[in-house]
Amino acid sequence: MYTSKNPYRPVKTIVLDVITETPTIKTFVLQPETPISFETGQFIEFSVPGCGEAPFTPSSRPSVSDTLEVTIMRVGKVTTRIHELKKNDIVGLRGPFGSRYPVELFKDKEVLVIGGGCGFAPVRSLMYKLFEIRGDLKKLVFRGGCRNPKEFLYRDELESWTNKNDLNIRLTVDKSDGDTVWKHDVGLVTTILGDVGMDVKNGFAVVCGPPIMMKFTTGTLLDMGFREDNIFLSMEKNMSCGIGKCGHCRIGTYYACKDGPVFRYDAIKKFPNIWD
Amino acid sequence: MYYISENNFSRFLQICDDDYDVFLPVKKGNNRFFTRYTQQIQQPVVGEVRTSDPLKAFFFRAREKVARDFEDGMPAESRKPACIVGVKACDLAGFKVQDSVFINNDYLDPFYKNERENNLIISSDCTCAIDTCFCLALGIKPYPIENFDINLTPLENGYLVEVGSEAGIKIVEIHSQLFTEPNESQKNERDTIREHTKDAVEKNIRNYTIPLKDKFEGIIEKNYESDIWQDEASTCVECGACNAICPTCHCFLLYDQKDEKKMERLRIWDSCMIKDFARVAGGANPREKLWMRLRNRFEKKFDFFPKIADIYACTGCGRCVSACPAKIDIRNVLKRLVHNVYK
Ligand SMILES: Cc1cc2nc3c(=O)[nH]c(=O)nc-3n(C[C@H](O)[C@H](O)[C@H](O)COP(=O)(O)OP(=O)(O)OC[C@H]3O[C@@H](n4cnc5c(N)ncnc54)[C@H](O)[C@@H]3O)c2cc1C
Ligand code: SF4
Ligand code: SF4
Ligand code: FES
Repeated sequence: MYTSKNPYRPVKTIVLDVITETPTIKTFVLQPETPISFETGQFIEFSVPGCGEAPFTPSSRPSVSDTLEVTIMRVGKVTTRIHELKKNDIVGLRGPFGSRYPVELFKDKEVLVIGGGCGFAPVRSLMYKLFEIRGDLKKLVFRGGCRNPKEFLYRDELESWTNKNDLNIRLTVDKSDGDTVWKHDVGLVTTILGDVGMDVKNGFAVVCGPPIMMKFTTGTLLDMGFREDNIFLSMEKNMSCGIGKCGHCRIGTYYACKDGPVFRYDAIKKFPNIWD
Repeated sequence: MYYISENNFSRFLQICDDDYDVFLPVKKGNNRFFTRYTQQIQQPVVGEVRTSDPLKAFFFRAREKVARDFEDGMPAESRKPACIVGVKACDLAGFKVQDSVFINNDYLDPFYKNERENNLIISSDCTCAIDTCFCLALGIKPYPIENFDINLTPLENGYLVEVGSEAGIKIVEIHSQLFTEPNESQKNERDTIREHTKDAVEKNIRNYTIPLKDKFEGIIEKNYESDIWQDEASTCVECGACNAICPTCHCFLLYDQKDEKKMERLRIWDSCMIKDFARVAGGANPREKLWMRLRNRFEKKFDFFPKIADIYACTGCGRCVSACPAKIDIRNVLKRLVHNVYK
């Protein structure tokens, strides 16, 4: 839970390490002065003094509270500055904010987790959590998709998951781009959902990725027979405050920062243009 | 109820000035603006109608330093609390929206809460209506009934005084020598003024055939795909004036000062009419077109807030009508929306 008296104040944080994941994605290992313990699915606001702030979902193990990792794609002003950060630089963190994945619902159920592109970041933290409680789950299925092997986030780690015998996993890329080492599927992530082998009527699905991927994947899940109230989505909107005040992230009668970012599909499907 | 004479009221303001930064409406041309009190101010306009600038600026400031150097707590400001005089009912009604955002929510905004607790509001009845006033259409009477510390009804040579809070009671008690019992004719004078102003607003509503709020339910949903939005937005210049002057608009941006050496964060007013408001990195924008943003502004006021807080986020103050350089008139938009539903 958020503890500061002033919800706009960032906590002074030191950059412990910077890991280059792909040409445009880096993971930052951060140690806030006062520990920030998040639950999987929640997000934090990350700021660089003199530059600005942006929201990210930690990609690390939620049970670790003195440090956390965020995996960030370089796309604009703040993220470009973040990518210039080095070990021991000082940054700011606020949070955690928003809703989390409702993992307690998954007890004795079959769970399908689908990640796409940079959506692997929140999904990685969710998978760490699910691995911890794997004994409580009836079945765990993972499907991951990315544009090409070069941009495949956490590639080595995901490869290693393919060796887990209590995980049904398939990975795909839109195009292999001549990567000869790539031994997994080629095609959109929606094309590798056919063999999940789940009791779809009672199973849960979690989807995180770019809006277009979430839109089509949700459509496929519904066609497969998943219930609307058993599908959970991470919605990314423009955010500033993170606490339901600045007005930027509204979706219908909700604020994505406070009532989301994790939404049950049936809660938001009635609003117009949710994928835009 | 009390009575205070014109002279005693001047003394009262001087006294308030010790503990507060006092602001008074002063007329410039045809408009009224809150101005810092000095003894030289000869003619504050306590009555008449709303100022051009919204009351919210004293509570949710246009530019507030909200964090510095990673220190917890709030960056200290050296200013005194504000005492705002001559506040009108349409501005006080804005508190319903602002409070629901900044206080009655999962998180508390300590800056807003501070101002709400410490500022003193000396409101006043409207003694006339201008062309753009339509508060009654929103069910708001042109005289304050709540959310003030002290309310004044301007009479011939003084004011009828009503206290509306603990702070109001206390300050009147401490300076009780300035206040007297009102007589019956003074009380009657108040009723006459209030009736007179109500008539003036009702006349506006009739003249412009402004729909009343009992017809507002569903006007956004049912007009979501209507071409009213594109039509109305066609002259908009995206200046954001409508948001800035509105007593209910609450959107802001956290802005970090461009000094890498120190961390300093401002909370500044933002406008949902501006293109980048909802744009996300990579360029996707749920409200790409200007008319979508105009629709969004109305959706917030007439669909979102009624659903989440049971209030219409418009108080009928008419400021956006006066401020819009593109002459987009909320009364007209409401008329079209309602007409489309009831035709
Ligand atoms: C809940 C959530 C979780 C996310 N998780 C991840 C993640 O794990 N990994 C990831 O890579 N991306 C994630 N994103 C996306 C990420 O937030 C954006 O990529 C990021 O905001 C882009 O910022 P930018 O400044 O580089 O881009 P730009 O396109 O330059 O700007 C985007 C926004 O940054 C803000 N901004 C710019 N300047 C300032 C300033 N001076 N002060 C304050 N704000 C400023 C503005 O609000 C602007 O609209 C997430 C988004 C959300 C909503
Ligand atoms: S929308 Fe216009 S008329 Fe309504 S409260 Fe805001 S400024 Fe006043
Ligand atoms: S004041 Fe008028 S021109 Fe300016 S943004 Fe609002 S509607 Fe558009
Ligand atoms: S980010 Fe400010 S309301 Fe959601």
